[in-house]
Amino acid sequence: MAKKNIDTAPIQKILKKNKREIKLGLKVCAHCSLCAESCFLYQATKDPKYMPSYKFINSIGRLYRKNGKLSRGEMTKIRDIVWHDCVLCSRCYCPFGINIPSLIALARQACRTQDLYREYDKEPTEG
Amino acid sequence: MTFQDQILYIVQGPIVWIAFMIFVAGIIGQTFRLSRMIRKNQPLRISDSAKTVKNKKKERWQRWMHHIGQVKTTMIGTSPFLTTVSIIFHICLFITPIFLMGHNVLLKAAIGLSLPSFSEPVSDILTLIVLFCGLFFLLRRLLLRRVRIITTPYDILLLLVVVFPFFTGFLAHHHLLLNYKLMIMLHIISGELILIMIPFSKFFHMIFFFFGRFLIVNEYSLGLPKRNWQFQTRE
Ligand code: SF4
Ligand code: SF4
Repeated sequence: MAKKNIDTAPIQKILKKNKREIKLGLKVCAHCSLCAESCFLYQATKDPKYMPSYKFINSIGRLYRKNGKLSRGEMTKIRDIVWHDCVLCSRCYCPFGINIPSLIALARQACRTQDLYREYDKEPTEG
Repeated sequence: MTFQDQILYIVQGPIVWIAFMIFVAGIIGQTFRLSRMIRKNQPLRISDSAKTVKNKKKERWQRWMHHIGQVKTTMIGTSPFLTTVSIIFHICLFITPIFLMGHNVLLKAAIGLSLPSFSEPVSDILTLIVLFCGLFFLLRRLLLRRVRIITTPYDILLLLVVVFPFFTGFLAHHHLLLNYKLMIMLHIISGELILIMIPFSKFFHMIFFFFGRFLIVNEYSLGLPKRNWQFQTRE
């Protein structure tokens, strides 16, 4: 893929439009890791990078905190989290009712604006 | 009156009321804010013949039975130990201060009314339960990789903020470590701090929880909620 800079404007638009959902999700998450078992990828591997909370905190959470100002490398890492480490099956479950899949889907949206998405014929850059 | 007495007088009197007022106003305000973010779902139009459950009460009952049958697939089933510790911790967190004799004596002196109180040994045990649960959460945060990976210093700070009033209350009551007045001062200040923080910090999950569990329609919601989040502002 051609090396391009990150165009923050469309990401910021997504962040702005969904600010309330993202902010609430990040604020309410008690970092308790109770959602881990609800993800079949975590269950199968016991690797914390598959924890639903880890995935949304390090994708949309990171984008939100940096207001979309990430490098292409960092964006690619987010791409890997939200596509390779999550299939968006929406089975994850948080006792507080944070809609984790919805947050991960927002991170996918942000990635798509940068031409970053799942490339089925390629291996993830990380892990 | 010594300087220490003066401070004690202030934190024991006016600041308690201010903290309570911020707490109550904060909870009302945040509840209002959240309730503006939810909308009633459009009811599904199902033809009469397809309606299997007509009776609301029956429907509700069936949901509860469904929940009970489902317990094994919920967190109580997948993480029984952690959920039990967490439930006990949260219950003790509330009932210990509310039904503490010392607090109720002060309440009676201030407004003439008071709540029933636990005996002192019971309160002691409940306090120790909170402290041990807190220690368990701390160790879990530090030692388990899956929790450590999402832990920030803020999480640890919040945990300390929660257990501190219990710790100092216990020590003050038993006249341990510091002199009583100083300890009780720390106890009061830290208690006030929590009250003020609840509506505005991560403790806010206390309010959010009820929305997520009882008002928002979801596979695991309790009762028969009919609402959904409407986060996006209309353009
Ligand atoms: S998403 Fe929910 S279950 Fe997962 S860590 Fe956050 S609060 Fe806990
Ligand atoms: S949506 Fe993603 S995080 Fe949630 S259970 Fe499915 S794979 Fe796991």
